[in-house]
Amino acid sequence: MAGGKSTAGGNRRKLSASAAAGNEGVLSRVGNTVRQSEVFHKGKRVASNTARFSKKLLWSTGKAAWIAGTTFLILVVPLIIEMDREAQLAELEGHQASLLGAPSQPPGLAAMT
Amino acid sequence: MGGTISFAAAPPPPIPANAPPPPLQATPTPEESEKPEKPSGEVDWLNLPCPISYDELQREAMMSLKPELFEGLRFDFTKPLSPKFSLSHSVYMGSLEMPSQSPETFKVPTAHYEFGANFLDPKCMLIGRILTDGRMSARVKYDITENVTMKINAQLTNEAHFSQGMFNFDYKGRDSRAQFQFANNAFYGGNYIQSVSPHLALGGEVFWLGHQRKSGLGLAARYNSDKTIMTGQLASTGLVALSYVQRVSEKVSLATDFMYNLANREATSSIGYDYLLRQCRLRGKVDSNGTVAAYLEERLNLGVNFLLSAEIDHWKKDYKFGFGLSVGEF
Repeated sequence: MAGGKSTAGGNRRKLSASAAAGNEGVLSRVGNTVRQSEVFHKGKRVASNTARFSKKLLWSTGKAAWIAGTTFLILVVPLIIEMDREAQLAELEGHQASLLGAPSQPPGLAAMT
Repeated sequence: MGGTISFAAAPPPPIPANAPPPPLQATPTPEESEKPEKPSGEVDWLNLPCPISYDELQREAMMSLKPELFEGLRFDFTKPLSPKFSLSHSVYMGSLEMPSQSPETFKVPTAHYEFGANFLDPKCMLIGRILTDGRMSARVKYDITENVTMKINAQLTNEAHFSQGMFNFDYKGRDSRAQFQFANNAFYGGNYIQSVSPHLALGGEVFWLGHQRKSGLGLAARYNSDKTIMTGQLASTGLVALSYVQRVSEKVSLATDFMYNLANREATSSIGYDYLLRQCRLRGKVDSNGTVAAYLEERLNLGVNFLLSAEIDHWKKDYKFGFGLSVGEF
């Protein structure tokens, strides 16, 4: 299969070379040769594969990130907020207890400190 | 952080006014915490604790893993008219999922108002509910003697064949419990559970469905210590259910359960946490079906609770969020 392709390419190359021998420059001829070479085709295929694969990878990472993020938002964020509130309340209570537990100090002075 | 600082800085002035009523610290927790009395030292085999009833074997795991998730708005108001009698009003607006064969979920917007009357007495409990869409339910619990309790559950609907009635007779022995059930559609059942050691209880059940000519057997075991609760249930219908609850601290417990259905070879398991804080109760779980759910009950004031419910099904792309308010508690 690869052989057939290369012979067809060769024919076309010969044809184009003979048809445009006069009015085409060196640059375009080099371009044609490169475009029709085996390495170029392989590279193109590899590039398109890579692009497709990376697109898929990016999409699935995005989806995973979305799932992880929403799960975090549902399960962990409320927990953090509530734990923080609880800690605040405990702190306040401790503060109050220490204020109440110091009878020698007048309340005005205690509130000032 | 800024909130912390401002909150910590603001309180000092109202302290004298705030300090006298201690209920702020001693607010009752939403759920009862019933602990089995533990014999110390030598095991007294003739004085084993009374086990939990067969129906409620997985109660702790269910509490943590199956909160009443809802979608939409709900408002509950309970007004006590006397210490034993109270009326309840509740409004629900949202969408209900309709059971269907297709993988997509159908949601039907619904709204209803529910009126209820409750009579609560240590010996007798009567609860009635009526909905605007015609459903009615009643529950009766009556202690005939100290050891025998009668329970009646009834549900009436205006659709044929959906009304249900169920009678239960519970017998509570010193270290065992037995229950007889009979319901409409010729359902008869009985179960028995016995404490085998101070921590372990074993039980079994038999039931017979007369109309479908089906019968079944079930076995259950429950291990209960003050830190862990393990249960296992096996039914001849092909259902295996295991659950495990670990009390990490007074406020935190973790629960996991596993269910396997032999008939359709489906297994599901879930894991969740249950935080019981002073101002709130927060429950969250993750499911092997890709469902994440959380349920928050926040105590805004004495008798005023704010509810937030969230459930995300990642695979079905089914998102349910609900909020609610419940005013007054019995």
